[in-house]
Order: sequence, then structure tokens, then C-alpha cells
Amino acid sequence: MAKLGVSSVRLTRVSIPLTLVHAGSMYVIQKTERTVVELTLENGVTGLGETWGTPDVYSLAQRFAKDLLGKDALNRFALKDLLGKSTYDNRFGRNGLATLAGLDLAAWDATARSLKMSLAELVGARKRESIDVVSTLPAAILQKAGTREDLTDHLDVLANTRRVVEFALEQLRKSGFRSFKLKSAAYSPEWDWKLLNELREAMPAARIRFDPNANYGVATATELCRRLDPLGLEFFEDPTGELEGIARLKAAVKTPVATNMWVVKDEHLVPAIRRKAVDVVLGDLFMWGGIDAWRRMARTAHAFGLKPALHSVYETGIATVANLHIASALPEVEYPNDSGLHFLSSDVLAEPQIVEDGSMRLPSGPGLGVTLDRNKLEKVTLETMQIGGPR
Amino acid sequence: MAAPVALSYTHVHSLRVASGAEALVARVLDGSGNAGFGFTLNLDAGVARDMAAWDALGQARGVPLHGLLGGSYRKTVRLVRDELPAIPADWTALRKDILEGRHELLRIDPFAWGSVEMVQTIAAVAAAFDLSIALLAPNAHPWEIQYCAALAATLKGEDTRIIVRTNATKAVNVSGLPGIGIDWSVEPSFSRIRWQS
Repeated sequence: MAKLGVSSVRLTRVSIPLTLVHAGSMYVIQKTERTVVELTLENGVTGLGETWGTPDVYSLAQRFAKDLLGKDALNRFALKDLLGKSTYDNRFGRNGLATLAGLDLAAWDATARSLKMSLAELVGARKRESIDVVSTLPAAILQKAGTREDLTDHLDVLANTRRVVEFALEQLRKSGFRSFKLKSAAYSPEWDWKLLNELREAMPAARIRFDPNANYGVATATELCRRLDPLGLEFFEDPTGELEGIARLKAAVKTPVATNMWVVKDEHLVPAIRRKAVDVVLGDLFMWGGIDAWRRMARTAHAFGLKPALHSVYETGIATVANLHIASALPEVEYPNDSGLHFLSSDVLAEPQIVEDGSMRLPSGPGLGVTLDRNKLEKVTLETMQIGGPR
Repeated sequence: MAAPVALSYTHVHSLRVASGAEALVARVLDGSGNAGFGFTLNLDAGVARDMAAWDALGQARGVPLHGLLGGSYRKTVRLVRDELPAIPADWTALRKDILEGRHELLRIDPFAWGSVEMVQTIAAVAAAFDLSIALLAPNAHPWEIQYCAALAATLKGEDTRIIVRTNATKAVNVSGLPGIGIDWSVEPSFSRIRWQS
């Protein structure tokens, strides 16, 4: 097998309604938009990938896909050249890394399928067949997406915290979740303190992570996190920012501190290690620019005593399953995977990806082990584009 | 972490190479009967078995080692004479030295560090800290140089090189052959090994 040349790439931008109103400090949303990647090799094998679904990323993916035609999927390291030779050369910023990650994932899947290996095996090994996943808890339970003011009016009524607790208990009953991520609007420390206490009381054994997306200032966040220390939360995720702020907070609390915002690319990692800024690098495959970059981060972080974990937002089954394979492959990953798939009203895969007893099973078969469902895909398609291959 | 392949058979044989040194050669079979070979002149069979497992996987899939690990950064690797000592295979000490900025070039003996996975971990750390890696072929044996070339293909950094203690040619090619890309025939005694079935 001398080469696995890329012959075509099909991109499909999709919009999928959520079954909840996601409320956090960054946005209140009711849908997720993603770009589905189908990368076909000259041998006829197609790999699946996925990335962000913004128009900018979709447009960039078309541009990168043209440059990808004829390239060898066996040499996935070279895909990063699409961004330029160095960070300085990357004129596309985060969008570039996310676009690259989507194409990279499809190339890994196509390669693994061609080699008749599961993606986990190609990444390292298939060590675990099921992976614990985390259920997101919105900052508040709203009936529809609205403005920030709508959200803060709701948060002013502290009795409303009960609705979030009931929502969490429903996830526990339905799917056996043992791990939860409470999004915070970072508006009211009193709301967060009361809600987290109620969650702990309602679910004494649950792993609970708390994520205000760095929208509390350092002083407020440190004061709040000190009060929360006795609850034994799994970790504080981006309680504040930036790297210096989160490092100072970490020094002041006992609970582990994680970030998905301040250590998000290669050049952030060493300063975080030197500054002892965080305990957990909650790396997002799409922010890090693909599987190899994520794997290098995990190995380096672990080598210096940090714990790598997999971040995600509301991704389709493609990226969700990719994260399962990565967690299975890398022994450095100990924490449960973030996952929002169970809050999507539909998926693009033929095989339902179900959460049972708080975990998801790795599909069997080569590559990701999943197949695209054309009918499901069409129902959520916003636009599609074929680059190379038959039209 | 070893190669992602289930093995049904492993066997290690000692061998006298042309220089008079003793080598350990490992042979493994995967579940489908695909064979892979590895070796060491350090007399630690673990590295030979690890190498053989990766070789079996690559042979079975028809791809070189770098195709399994993610890709290749180069087609040739510089071969340099260098008599400075290799970094001892002590991860704790290496991490401390890296944090203290004691290295620009990590002189790594892959046969002492023990596995492909360990070299990949060192490579990840080196990339993060913007360090380069030199892989030591301790006896400058052609097998060692070929194995180092297979590993070096996967290492980032313009300064990546193979170091030997003797006079060096300028560069060595990265093999495109399946597995670890070693030409076993350079040692006639290799073909005389009688492997247990």
C-alpha cells in the first residue's frame, strides 16, 4: 500500500435542533450547526469527519479540501501544512485549526478503514469498549432561547434552581449518567452556590464539573470556588481567566482546575505546565486541530502531571464517536468525555449512539465503525458541496 | 503501550552478528499468522518484541511504521557523528532537565528507552518544548540505523538526526517498505535462525 490518495471531499453544513435550551455565560442556544465531512480515497474508501458549522468554517473547508486532493492520507502529519509551516503562518486562527481537524478526522477514519483497523487502534490501542460520558446541565431551565436579560431575570429568582436539579435527576433516571457539567451564566455566585449544593445533595455520588466559561473575575471566582471546595466537585472548568488568573485561583483551592479556554493549542501547553496553571487540560479536538495534535497534547500533559480530557459541545455522532475512540486509545485519558449528542433532536448516523448506565460503547468495525444515514443527513442539511470526484 | 496488535506467538533468539556482537532477534506472529521481526544489541528483549509487534502490524497492513503512527516528516535523515552521551532512560530526570532548560537536543537511545510508544511520548514533549531529537544508533549497526530512520521519520523538527559514534555518511533514507523497514539480509546469520513453529 504505497499511498492512500484523496480523490474527493464532500462537505455538508447541517443545523440540528437541540431538545433543550442551552443556557450558559457565552450564549443561549436551541440548535447546533456542524459541517459533516466525507473524504473519499482513490481506493474508494470514504472516511467521515465533522467540524464547526459556521459559514466561515464551511467556506474554509472548501478551500482546504481543494488543496487536499491527491494528498496521501497515510501522511496525516502533512495535513497541517494546509495552515502554513508555523503558528505565525496560520492566517486562519481558530477557524483554521477547526477546519483542519474536521478534514484530519475524516483522513484518520479513511485510513483506519483502509487498514481494517478501528480508529482507536490506529490512534494507539483499543483499550476500553465503553467510555463514561458527561451530561451537560444548562445554567437554567428555560422554555425558549432568549436574550441575556431573559436569562438573568430568571436567575434572580433563586427558587428556580430546583428546575435544574430536576433536569439532572431526569438525566440520571433516563440514561444513568454519573457525570454532569453545570454550565454557569456567571451572573450570580449565589445562584451557582445554591444550585451546586442542591445538586450535591440530590446526587451525592455524582461527578460534577462546574463551568462558568471564565466569565467571573478572578476575585469573585476565587471566593466562590473556595466556598464550593467542600462539595468535592470533579473540577472547576474555566472558573476565570486568563492563564495567570486561573493559576492564581488554582493555588487558592483544593478542587482540581480544568481549562478548555486557556490551553487550546500547542504553544499554550508549556506555559501552563511551567506556571502550574491547571490540573486538567480539557482539550477539544477541533480547537487543537485534529487527532495528532490532541494526542501530542495528551502525552505531554500527562508526562508533566496534568490530566488530559476530552471536551465537546453539541456534536453529531461522528465527533462523539471519534472522542470515544480517542479516549479508548489513550491511557492518559481518565476523566469521562464531554458529550452533548443525547440532546440533539436527530443525528446523521445510521446507528443510534446511546448512553446507557452513563456510558457509551465504541462501535465495532473498521475506522469509526459508523455509517452516514443519507436520509437523516438530508433532513438537516443547510448546504452541500462536492470537491473533486464525480459530480 | 505496545503495538495495537494481538500476538499469538513470540520468540526471541540470540544471534552473533558480523561484528562479533551478540544480538537478540524477536519474531512474533499476529492472530492471522503475519510475522514481524525486531532486534536489539542491548540484550533487553523487550525492545525487540515491541519492534517486532509493530513490524507485524505494518507487514500485515502493507504500510511502513510511519503510516501507522500518523505520517512522515522526512524522506531522509541526517546521520551525524556525535560522541556526547545519550540521555539516560530516566523519565523523571529528563522532565526535570527539560523544565530547567538543560537541553536543546535530546540525545535518545531508542533501544534503552524501550518502545516505540516511549519514543513517541518523548517526541510529543520535545515538540511542545521546541526541542529536537537525535536518535542514537549505539553500535552503528545497519539494523540500528534503519530502525532509527523509521522512528526519525515521525519526529518533528528540522534538527532531527541519527547519531553514531563512528564516521558517518551524510544521510540515510527512510524506508517505504512495510513494517519497520529493516533489511535483515545484511546479517547472513539471520537467515540461519531456526524459529520454533
